[in-house]
Amino acid sequence: MTDISETAPVTVPDPRTAATAPRPDPSSIWAFRGTLSRRAQIGIGVGTSVGLLLIWEAVARIGLVNTTFLPSPSTVLSSMLMMVQKQNLLQHAGISTLRVWVAFILAAVMAIPIGILMSSYRVVGAALEPIIDFIRYLPVPALVPLSIIWFGVGESTKLYLLWLGTFFQLVLLVADDMRRVPHEYIEIAHTLGANTRQTLRDVAFRAMLPGLVDNLRITLGWCWTYLIIAEIVAADSGIGFVIWTARRYMKTPEVMAGVVVIGVIGLVTDQLLRALHRRAFRYL
Amino acid sequence: MIEPYLAFHGVTKRFGDLDVVAQPFSISVARNEFVVFLGPSGCGKTTLMRMIGGLETPSSGAICLEGLPVGGPDHRRGMVFQSYSSFPWLTVAENVLFGMRYRKDLTEQQKLARRDNYLELVGLYDFSDAYPNKVSGGMRQRVAIARTLAAGSDVMLMDEPFGALDAQRRERLQVELRAIQRRDAKTIVFVTHDVEEAVFLADRVIVFSKRPARVMADIDITERLGAERPLELRDSPEFFQLRNAVLRLLREAAGDEE
Repeated sequence: MTDISETAPVTVPDPRTAATAPRPDPSSIWAFRGTLSRRAQIGIGVGTSVGLLLIWEAVARIGLVNTTFLPSPSTVLSSMLMMVQKQNLLQHAGISTLRVWVAFILAAVMAIPIGILMSSYRVVGAALEPIIDFIRYLPVPALVPLSIIWFGVGESTKLYLLWLGTFFQLVLLVADDMRRVPHEYIEIAHTLGANTRQTLRDVAFRAMLPGLVDNLRITLGWCWTYLIIAEIVAADSGIGFVIWTARRYMKTPEVMAGVVVIGVIGLVTDQLLRALHRRAFRYL
Repeated sequence: MIEPYLAFHGVTKRFGDLDVVAQPFSISVARNEFVVFLGPSGCGKTTLMRMIGGLETPSSGAICLEGLPVGGPDHRRGMVFQSYSSFPWLTVAENVLFGMRYRKDLTEQQKLARRDNYLELVGLYDFSDAYPNKVSGGMRQRVAIARTLAAGSDVMLMDEPFGALDAQRRERLQVELRAIQRRDAKTIVFVTHDVEEAVFLADRVIVFSKRPARVMADIDITERLGAERPLELRDSPEFFQLRNAVLRLLREAAGDEE
């Protein structure tokens, strides 16, 4: 048996010259691919946003930029309050929200069953996929003239444009959600004696539901994009109309206020739907 | 001649141009027998098992249960898969209850009683209200076993059900499964490529060649090791010898390409 103390001495390489990867302090906020506490994340996020607003405010007040083009945040906020009082801003926002939801629900009610059928029956998928793929790549604004010819400038044009922008995207997302349901689930249902309808309803649909709700949330966001296009082109009400009218008179603060309202509605809706998702799918 | 309980009569299977089972496959399985299909990965043993469940149809030949050719899937032939074996949106208890969802011959009360009975049997009663993602992989497989038993399967078809578990959980579930099979008197067809698992669990091991699947050996394990399979059996020389013998067979079956 050899005495381990007699073996050659271990040489410790000088850490300054050793060719090893750098090992930074993991507690540093700059740790590469490191972690950050939730509180720190929120703090940094709020700090950056407030800082940016303050810089913007200062730049506008000092006169570094022409306020006709870039009004200060405080000016935007005060014109927003003025618009709520004198220009029925909330009513316009309500009308826009209603349009988005009507068109979105219309698109969802059609896209969900069709998407499910496309994935469940190869023949439906084969028949519809080329058409949907083609229409999906048509930019919605390019279809505005056609929809005005068909539907005039009333409510139906706006709903049609919104529907057009979401339905074809959604149908493929739904089909994909269904396709991703593990085949094991389907076979378990069959070996328990479920027929096709029962398998679809009790197993496949339940399995795809979290993905479906997520995709609905995302497409609802797209709806707002198309809404503004529709309201700019043909409307006498809604946020898009408000923004476009303000632009005509170069009322930049009002234009910005309108944009901010859309952003706020979008953010609130998205957070509500996310919370709903977490509550409904606790098992995830 | 007495009609065997479960029988393959000259079964072959082709998927398009691919021969999965070329040489007609015929075996008969007795009631309450634990049969393990052992073979290299992708050899076609799973396909043969799935045919019993009605999830695949033979290209030729027939599979008979109690003398009658099997049709599409039903609750008498239950499946336990390796993954996605339980529904994540249902609790443990709801998963087991789901096994009886389409059975009209049971009252609601009977279903609840059976649910509790089988939850108890697989040791999951205390986890009734947990969702599958909150329990271990081993428990998820027990959920699937309890669901299949509750559904009233006479034949349990298991496709590498313990393949994704760590060694200790695997051993424990093997002991439990063997005990359940003995107590509940179930016929089990179990697919694996793990030799120890096959020898420990089976009354009878069928060794398959690589694809197209051909029977290399049909080994009576109970004759050599007895029907009782306590955990200690794994340490016995008899088990060790048998395991090595089967392993040699499997090596031949896999060919020398590796």
